[in-house]
Amino acid sequence: MNEWEKWPIKIIEQKDFPKQLKEIRLCPKKLFYRGEWDKNIFDKVVAIVGSRQITRYGKEIIEKIMPEIISRNTTVISGFMYGVDSQAHWECLKYGGKTVAVLGSGLNEFYPTENNKLYLNILETGGVVISEYEPNFKATVWSFPQRNRIVSGLSTVGVLIVEGGIKSGSLITAKLGLEQKKKILSVPGPINSKTSQGTNWLIKTGAAKMVTEPKDIFEDVISMPEQENLFKDYSNLNEVEKIMIDLLESEALTGDEICQITQKNITEISTTLSMMLMKDLVTETDGKFYIS
Amino acid sequence: MLNKVLSIANVGLKGIEIEVEVNIADKGFPGFGIVGLASKAVEEAKERVKTAIINSDINFPNAKITINLAPADLPKDGSCYDLPISVGILASMGELVLPKERSYFYGELSLDGSLRHTRGVFLLALLAKEEGIKKIYVPRMSANEASVIEGVEVYPVDNLKNLIKHLNGERKIEPLKTVNVQDIFDDINPDFDFSEILGQEQAKRALEIAAAGGHNVFMMGPPGSGKTMLSRAIPGILPNLSEKESLEVTKIFSITGNIPPGGSLIRQRPFRSPHHTTSQIGLIGGGSNPKPGEVSLAHRGVLFLDEFPEFGRNSLEALRQPLEDGFVSICRASGSVTFPAQFMLIAAANPCQCGYLGDPKKECSCSPWQILNYRKKLSGPIMDRIDLHLIVPAVDVNHLMIGKNEINNNEKSEVIRKRVVEARKIQSERFKSLNHIHSNSDMKNSHLKEFSNLTGKANLLLKQAVNKFNLSARVYFRLIKVARTIADLDKSMEIKENHIAEALQYRVKNDD
Repeated sequence: MNEWEKWPIKIIEQKDFPKQLKEIRLCPKKLFYRGEWDKNIFDKVVAIVGSRQITRYGKEIIEKIMPEIISRNTTVISGFMYGVDSQAHWECLKYGGKTVAVLGSGLNEFYPTENNKLYLNILETGGVVISEYEPNFKATVWSFPQRNRIVSGLSTVGVLIVEGGIKSGSLITAKLGLEQKKKILSVPGPINSKTSQGTNWLIKTGAAKMVTEPKDIFEDVISMPEQENLFKDYSNLNEVEKIMIDLLESEALTGDEICQITQKNITEISTTLSMMLMKDLVTETDGKFYIS
Repeated sequence: MLNKVLSIANVGLKGIEIEVEVNIADKGFPGFGIVGLASKAVEEAKERVKTAIINSDINFPNAKITINLAPADLPKDGSCYDLPISVGILASMGELVLPKERSYFYGELSLDGSLRHTRGVFLLALLAKEEGIKKIYVPRMSANEASVIEGVEVYPVDNLKNLIKHLNGERKIEPLKTVNVQDIFDDINPDFDFSEILGQEQAKRALEIAAAGGHNVFMMGPPGSGKTMLSRAIPGILPNLSEKESLEVTKIFSITGNIPPGGSLIRQRPFRSPHHTTSQIGLIGGGSNPKPGEVSLAHRGVLFLDEFPEFGRNSLEALRQPLEDGFVSICRASGSVTFPAQFMLIAAANPCQCGYLGDPKKECSCSPWQILNYRKKLSGPIMDRIDLHLIVPAVDVNHLMIGKNEINNNEKSEVIRKRVVEARKIQSERFKSLNHIHSNSDMKNSHLKEFSNLTGKANLLLKQAVNKFNLSARVYFRLIKVARTIADLDKSMEIKENHIAEALQYRVKNDD
């Protein structure tokens, strides 16, 4: 038996729904939920959705925006799917925020099963897990897009799309959000990245507001971008390290690419990269090096 | 009349002397029978022997012929008893005089009376030397295998007629001259030269380190990034086998029939690349009469496993013993045998099932669950036993071709090979007092204390790395071994900080 099964399944009727949800088209009659239904957590809600295949870029974006969201006492709502959804839930819990998950299946038949721990964590921290389906309903191809209207419907601040391909479910959520007159927020990405094509398209068509800084989610004031590297101490670097920091500041590279650009010996590059890893100057993911 | 001829049977990699007793009885119903746990191949010798003798213009006796292969309780397999059986029959018929000194006869007969290439001649010569046998008679096509063993006269036999004349003193067969091991050279013909591979500097350097220290390598990269090409280029940077190693390898190749007709000692390091559908027995060795598998054929050489996660789970798990101990023990009802299996493992895999995870251009079509499952096969004990872990990134097609006016500055395999040979020399000097250790990767943890020779700074860096990357004890020791090899390539007695730092680039990369 899973531990989260200790929380009983309760039902909330349409009349008790938060205001923002009642207004949407095809509003469900009732919702099943586990956890404590605290009305206050639905006062200020941001929906975060995105690709099932999260890249390092997506992870970094979520890490970057989350403190701002939590410090503004905003609840994070998402779809409990792997990828961006799970990352958003987890990251929110990390900072002690409240998060709400809307399942595309019944409350006892959730998918993906790896998220067992997440389920429990959401409940333990005062969050709610919601579903419009009967507890033992198994997820189907249509149930995932269908629940998206609840994800966007519960949001008040807006629907933030972090990463998403051109044919992804995140675009369906964006479309539903537009129909529900919600603010759509989108994080741009490299134009040659598959997982950012959807988000870029939303910005291009004017459907979404571009988010380049955490503040953009809440405010419409345009300010100068923050200078990030001001606090990093690059004073004790040697020649090669300096070159590498310069290179990596513009984009993440593999050891081979650095070797090709600098025309230095691979032994020297490898050695320096290891030392920089140890000094926390860079980090490594899947063979690519990033400025930390 | 009864005659006894000596030959051998192979059990694992050991030869056992066999007495072939041949009796032609004057009385009794005419017939031809073989006893002494003969397999089908030996049983069929009857027809070959009979026809070969007749085709050598000798009348086959119309009498009761009984052959006994002693010791009678040891199973005998193979076609090598054709020659001793026919020699025994011919002696009983009075057609030839058996040599007075103990000699071995070994080889398969063709129906026309000539002798065919037979596997296992090298082992025959080894046993002959051990048992103090001076003369062996073997097929000419296989005789070169035996010619490197000193103190044994090897008579290359073309056909039965010649042998009869030789034994009767009518026309002598000249024994082969003993060949010095050092004089045998195998041409090295790798499929690719390292200079043909563009980019992939890190991978090339890693393979150089691997070749120098005999380390295992794991490569992960999308399809078309050059994993297979890199592996196929490895034989070109490996040093030749030493004399001792060469004898070990030849033994295995001889018993499995991998030495071509006319071939002699194997000097080139083996490179084996079994397909991923290879059965566990094919890979590890086995069978009711145990035979060496691919891991043993790759002994002292390279075992390249492409599409590593596609290999059966059992096969991969079975690799653990040879990877750790350098040999495989196979136990069957008929007994247990041990085959050496000290190889350099080169494993290659895609980042996920479809191959495009993390590829900037093509989208990966695997679900996270599939990726998890794929990676699961790669995790755990096997990966812990691999010293160098590499990510081979996709290469931009534009960089693949060298323009007409551009000069290829890449190092040739030959240049790399020289450095590898130098580093191996340092190692053989280091391990000369130890029996089974030839390279840094063979070192046991107890040897590390004696040979690692870390500087204070290197030690400090190592300790920091252990904490930062959460390295297991096994990975920690592997790291030192790799750093030892890097230091050897650098001709440094001590392992310095920069050697450790470079080794760290090739550590196991755990996903967070």
